[in-house]
Amino acid sequence: MDCREFAAHLHPYVDGELGVDAAAAAEAHAASCPGCGRLADAERRFRQLLQRQPRESAPPELRSRILARCRQDERRPLRRMAVAIPAVAVAGALALAVLLPRGGEAPTLVGDLVGKHIAYAQLERPAEFASADYREVERWFHQQAGLRMTVPDYSTAGIRLVGARIAETDQQRAAYVLYEKGHVLLSIFMVPASQRAGGVGGQRVSYRGSEYVTAEVRGHRTVSWIEGQAAFSLVSALDYPALLECADRLRLERLERRA
Amino acid sequence: MIGWGSRTDRNREFEDVALVHLDTLYRTALRLTHNRADAEDLVQEACLRAFRSFHRFIPGTNCRAWLLTIVRNTFLNRIRDEGRQVLAGRAAGADPALGPAAESAATPENPEEELLQTVLHGDVDRALKALPLPFREAVVLADLEGLTYREVAEVLSCPIGTVMSRLSRGRRLLREALGRFAREHGYAKES
Repeated sequence: MDCREFAAHLHPYVDGELGVDAAAAAEAHAASCPGCGRLADAERRFRQLLQRQPRESAPPELRSRILARCRQDERRPLRRMAVAIPAVAVAGALALAVLLPRGGEAPTLVGDLVGKHIAYAQLERPAEFASADYREVERWFHQQAGLRMTVPDYSTAGIRLVGARIAETDQQRAAYVLYEKGHVLLSIFMVPASQRAGGVGGQRVSYRGSEYVTAEVRGHRTVSWIEGQAAFSLVSALDYPALLECADRLRLERLERRA
Repeated sequence: MIGWGSRTDRNREFEDVALVHLDTLYRTALRLTHNRADAEDLVQEACLRAFRSFHRFIPGTNCRAWLLTIVRNTFLNRIRDEGRQVLAGRAAGADPALGPAAESAATPENPEEELLQTVLHGDVDRALKALPLPFREAVVLADLEGLTYREVAEVLSCPIGTVMSRLSRGRRLLREALGRFAREHGYAKES
């Protein structure tokens, strides 16, 4: 190893991040070259100076506040019922009643949305408006089609926002938000005033105090619900726990913003 | 059917597995926000998010890095929402051209900055504070919190090569700033 190579390896060397062979070569060079040896010593001393900085602890109240907040969060469904506007809750309950399976009918809304999910996934650019900025996507929906769509941040679950599109369904413009977890796509649809909400079939599921209808259509899992006049549907190959959690976040965020 | 797990177990597990890292999260948040109240607020929000996603955390994997990722994302969301585009732009990843920007950041003149100076003491604090976000977060995680390159890369969602270049540049900037402060105080002569 010469001085040039040593300089290039200086930081990983001092940090103990070099492989065994490279570390040995760097060690040998530092021992034989006074200039590089001094450089390494100076880096080490600087590192020690940083490590000697006082290490502040979190205030004890912070821990108890977090635990209290988590416990409160577990009771979220109850709290949410109190926040929900009663009229909306009633409308939701009625709409949900007609969400139950009705037997073999013409293409259902969810079937239609799964078809769109599959078709968009094959496009080179599935999102008409590509952006990872949640608020920007919300503004775009509003400007393009007057849609008040909520675009939640799922990044903590490794689900990345890809962008948005206006989807045509039921002779109206629906909001379509596209996310990605690795190579798995997650589509969220909002159909503002669906004519075919009654055609949504599937299994009723209750999650964190809210009702959903889940169904598997053409190899995709779907989680749907009605909010006021609008039908919401999540379509993905992701598992149900993940989809329900995403759905719950979306509903909660809509409620919180309305409140 | 889907198994949701017991809620109480989840609480206890979260406390045992995640909250043992609270000090690290708090110190890192403090280095991001420069302010204790904001740091507490940030950590609280991040922990709640972590709690809600906890069923997706894979036991045995690196919980500290996972939590720090959430703290950082929450912080980035906040500065974005606050419309502090300059900071957000820097945080987005592209290493900014240094020089003038770093110089002006190193000599804060607005009263808020002056007030913050009284919250944290010492030249290292001051120099760290002036470091642009991409370098600061790398230096804080690696040098102050002792994360490995791999862990830092995970938290910052960037390749290890980027971590290395940010670290070496960040450390250089930090040393230069400390040298300047030392000269100001008269500790060191012009070298």
